[in-house]
Amino acid sequence: MLEIDRIDTFHGESHILRGVSFDVAEGEVVCLLGRNGAGKTTTLMSIMGYLVPRSGAMRLRGRSIAGLPSHQIARAGVGFVPQERGIFPSLTVRENLTVFARTTPGARWTLDRIYQVFPRLRERERNLGFQLSGGEQQMLSIARALMLNPDLLLLDEPSEGLAPMIVNEIVEVMRGLKKEGLAILLVEQNLHTALAVADRHHVVNKGEIMFTGTSAELEADESVKSRYLAV
Amino acid sequence: MEIYFAQLLNGLVYGMLLFLTAAGLSLIFGLMNVVSLAHGSFFMLGAYIALSVTRQTQNFWLALLIAPALTVAIGLVMERVFMRPLYRRGHLDQVLLTFGFTFVFFDAVRWIWGSDIRKLAAPEALQGSVEIAGGMFSTYRLFLLALGAGLALILWLVMERSRLGAMVRAGVDDSAMAAGLGANIPALFTGVFGAGVALAALGGVAAGPVLGLYPGMDGDILIPSFIVIVIGGMGSLRGAFVGSLLVGIADAFGKAYVPALSMFLIYLLMAFFLLVRPQGLFGIKGGVAPAGMVVAVGMAFNRPQLARMLSLVALLVLAAFPLFVADYHRTLVSEIFVFAIFAMSLDLILGYTGLPSFGHAGFFGLGAYVVIVLGSLFGLNGWLGLLVAIPITALAAAVIGFFCVRTSGITFLMLTLAFSQLLYSIAFKWRDVTGGSDGIGIAGRPTLFGWSLDDPLALYYMTFFFFVLCYLGLRRLIASPLGHSFVGVRENESRMRAIGYATGEYKLLAFTIGGTLAGFSGGLYALFNGFVSPEALHWSASGDVLIMAMLGGAGTLVGPVIGAAVFLLMKNLVSSWNDHWMMIIGVVFIACVMFFPGGIWGMLRDRLARARA
Repeated sequence: MLEIDRIDTFHGESHILRGVSFDVAEGEVVCLLGRNGAGKTTTLMSIMGYLVPRSGAMRLRGRSIAGLPSHQIARAGVGFVPQERGIFPSLTVRENLTVFARTTPGARWTLDRIYQVFPRLRERERNLGFQLSGGEQQMLSIARALMLNPDLLLLDEPSEGLAPMIVNEIVEVMRGLKKEGLAILLVEQNLHTALAVADRHHVVNKGEIMFTGTSAELEADESVKSRYLAV
Repeated sequence: MEIYFAQLLNGLVYGMLLFLTAAGLSLIFGLMNVVSLAHGSFFMLGAYIALSVTRQTQNFWLALLIAPALTVAIGLVMERVFMRPLYRRGHLDQVLLTFGFTFVFFDAVRWIWGSDIRKLAAPEALQGSVEIAGGMFSTYRLFLLALGAGLALILWLVMERSRLGAMVRAGVDDSAMAAGLGANIPALFTGVFGAGVALAALGGVAAGPVLGLYPGMDGDILIPSFIVIVIGGMGSLRGAFVGSLLVGIADAFGKAYVPALSMFLIYLLMAFFLLVRPQGLFGIKGGVAPAGMVVAVGMAFNRPQLARMLSLVALLVLAAFPLFVADYHRTLVSEIFVFAIFAMSLDLILGYTGLPSFGHAGFFGLGAYVVIVLGSLFGLNGWLGLLVAIPITALAAAVIGFFCVRTSGITFLMLTLAFSQLLYSIAFKWRDVTGGSDGIGIAGRPTLFGWSLDDPLALYYMTFFFFVLCYLGLRRLIASPLGHSFVGVRENESRMRAIGYATGEYKLLAFTIGGTLAGFSGGLYALFNGFVSPEALHWSASGDVLIMAMLGGAGTLVGPVIGAAVFLLMKNLVSSWNDHWMMIIGVVFIACVMFFPGGIWGMLRDRLARARA
């Protein structure tokens, strides 16, 4: 689905990502783990075209996406849920969902189906974006990305700053999406959430991937956990 | 009663015309953070193209369709070809680019249609008048009212009820997020820009039979539109609508009941809203503007010895220069000295402190008027006048600065512009003292130790002396801890505040010093020129000095001097063999903004640095 091949990304003059490579297969949930400032969000920014890697290759279904403008990457089948959620405050909940939706007839995700999965959003349909709680905003941001009917979902720390109960809800949503066969690239600091959802994990530190392995392998590796994760 | 009603109706009509310009301006700003100074030019172009169309076809309605379409085509070329490459740069570059286009469009209009006032004939069907509540109203005005209200309604429906409108609103909220969900933001912007131009042009055609056509009508609609946006709030359609009606009504009642103060009434309205509600009535992104507004970064010339030698040579050359040339050249270089001080004073605010002032000519003109008016009214000696001008302009700069430095970025720019226009309208209206639009001449030039300043040579050395004095003083100021604080405010205001600087006070201080120095240069200008008219305070004069500073290289002291020299030389040389110096300067300026973002001096310095490396 997604192949990232030795990308180097800079923020101005500072070198953030150093030769990051990984891939996400069809229907797979892959997690990027690491502390603050490790380069996780920068990786998502690079995939979305907000930052353009100076070298390396990125392919989506075999097609190169490096250097494409963000909107073309989104239209190529990537749903993006940013860390700060990016809800449009002056649009209603319903408008947030429909404004950039790509729901052709027969598509997997429609407004009705979104409202089934996220009943809270139907109740809040007419509210403006800025009138939502943090958990509702997160749900809306995920739902909005699903309305693009993407092949790959990018989630940037969806559990950050939310109450444990809401985190559980979001984990359940992610599991449901996984069951439907949606490929997900999840960025997390929280090992617990990562293990609950993902098949494979990449631990990032200072812009480099330090560890790659399955959930079982990660759980067994105490030195990686203590060195690179806040456990 | 009917009288009130009539004024109200007139105010509403003018308000609707304002709305057509202000709505586009506000939307374009909201989506891309671009203030297009050329927006008034599209209003003007629409009206003039309609003039030609009606002359060919005798059909107003056809003109109402064709003129906006042609104007949109011009606007889209400007957006696609010239503005698009600049989106990644600071706002100021875009503001200046569009300012360059106002020159080009102004000159083009004068060239094609001439400078006389024209009037567009209202369509025959609307030439009568109707009786309402005992008063007679021209049918055409009622038509304007309906047209404006209808367009406002359509605009509102599109923005609030359609998916396209939701896309625009999403883009205004967060353009990066919208792009990440598949929105083609550049295309969306082109669309909004085109729609904004269409509205402005339509407004121009519609205004033609009422307000008349003349080169300069661009600025006359642009400035009130800015005030509308300051009052209504940036990026808000509702704000533009309410603000337009308020300004329109205030203007109509002012003209009817306090004609002497009519021009101030809308400025008073603006000052009131600024005090009560600085972000505007419906403002969503009032003071938002990144700190790095200014492109040029002040990198010190790091070869002190060479620099000192070069300065000495330059000093000697300039001191000897007038002895070998004719009076014409002496006068020209004297003028350059005066404007070099003026441009440097702006650069203290713009380049060093990072505040994009578009009203700097206000202080320049004020200084000039102080010298000349005190001389003519009280017979005050010109030197004393120059001394008195310093505290007066300092006071004016402090008061205006008090309002302006609370804002930043584009709001700051518009406010300074509005305040300078306020000073302009005082000079224009206070005929008894200022001579109104005729201007006023100096009673008698003072002497330089018995040497009459009527002699261009004396004038040369006088301006030269003050130029060197101001240059050295500013250089010392910039190297001082205070100067470093100004740069700190420009580079990272929040960090400066975090480490304990009252950044607002530093901004006010920089603004006041810069304004005072501008007033001083204005006083010198009065002695030099012997005459001052409201043109010296006009917003286009503020634009000229901005061009000088940016053309030469903002954020340096040498840059504005070079810029002033190039600008005045070009103006004099080009205007001596070609009437269209505005067009040529506009084009040169557009090219400079696009290709030398650091200005001439910035480019030279980069070349030097690269050659050395």
